[in-house]
Amino acid sequence: MTRIDKLMVGEQLPVFERRGTIEHWNRFAAVNDEFAAHHWDYAVAEEEGFPAPFAMAPLQLAFFHAMLRAWIGDDGRIVSVSAKLRGPFFKDQLLTASGKVIAVDRVEGEIVVDLELAQVDETDRSIAIGVARVALKDLGEVDG
Amino acid sequence: MAESLVTDDMRSIVGAVMRESVSHPVAIADIRKWAIAVYYPETPPRQFWDEDYAKTTQFGCIVAPEEFNPFAWSTAKPLLTDPKVSQTAFSEDELGVQPPEYKAILLTEIREQHGRVRIRAGDAIRSVVRISQYFERDGRKGRMLYTTLSNDWRNQSDEWIRTTESVFVRY
Repeated sequence: MTRIDKLMVGEQLPVFERRGTIEHWNRFAAVNDEFAAHHWDYAVAEEEGFPAPFAMAPLQLAFFHAMLRAWIGDDGRIVSVSAKLRGPFFKDQLLTASGKVIAVDRVEGEIVVDLELAQVDETDRSIAIGVARVALKDLGEVDG
Repeated sequence: MAESLVTDDMRSIVGAVMRESVSHPVAIADIRKWAIAVYYPETPPRQFWDEDYAKTTQFGCIVAPEEFNPFAWSTAKPLLTDPKVSQTAFSEDELGVQPPEYKAILLTEIREQHGRVRIRAGDAIRSVVRISQYFERDGRKGRMLYTTLSNDWRNQSDEWIRTTESVFVRY
């Protein structure tokens, strides 16, 4: 969880990492009723032009949310999250989601923070880029 | 420049309600399972599964993660016996309009805005989906048609929960 008194433009959020496993994706498929075969079947993925099964886009978006939640803590709120999907997150790869503070402002009793987001795999291939806005309770001075 | 893929009929349905869905009342178990699935193999944050802990948070109870989907598997509207409605796909023919011909459709971008009101156990969420924009680009695969689908969620008290804009490309 972030410390508001230390908040600065350029600050990097702690990363959120997950290995692409069928055990994980099956669980997400179960709660999201998302059972497209290209998420687990190599033959189907290859037929569609991909070298391996790949993760669901909503799960990738959930990873951004999870990273932001860990950073803002229970008292913060996520205002918006956007992601441009650059390439699939393939099975067995390690996804790393990261974020960087790009703007900090005070708005109606809250500290509003804009962030740049990214997801890469272990070969440093871009999987997604995005932006987010979160709001924190305004408790004191902020370094802009 | 290639001919536009957007017909007058397609332009006429921009902004029109394409579909409405209403979730079943959300159960705490739904929220727990969602959080467990997203955070697997780690334990999700306590606020999503521990009712005693959740009482100490700003919400005073368990609330769903912002990205939670209450429409999976079954909805109060449409019923299971009605044609299935997807939260992540679409076709103009749902509004009686001929869609363009295409070989592939891909989701390229998701934009979510979250309200201050969170989904709690017992909430029934209404989803209203519209095509909000068409735009085109020329790429390596020829003319590519981008369609933005806007999905607005409100709870049973008409409080805004979330708006999701999904941009699909067809080529």
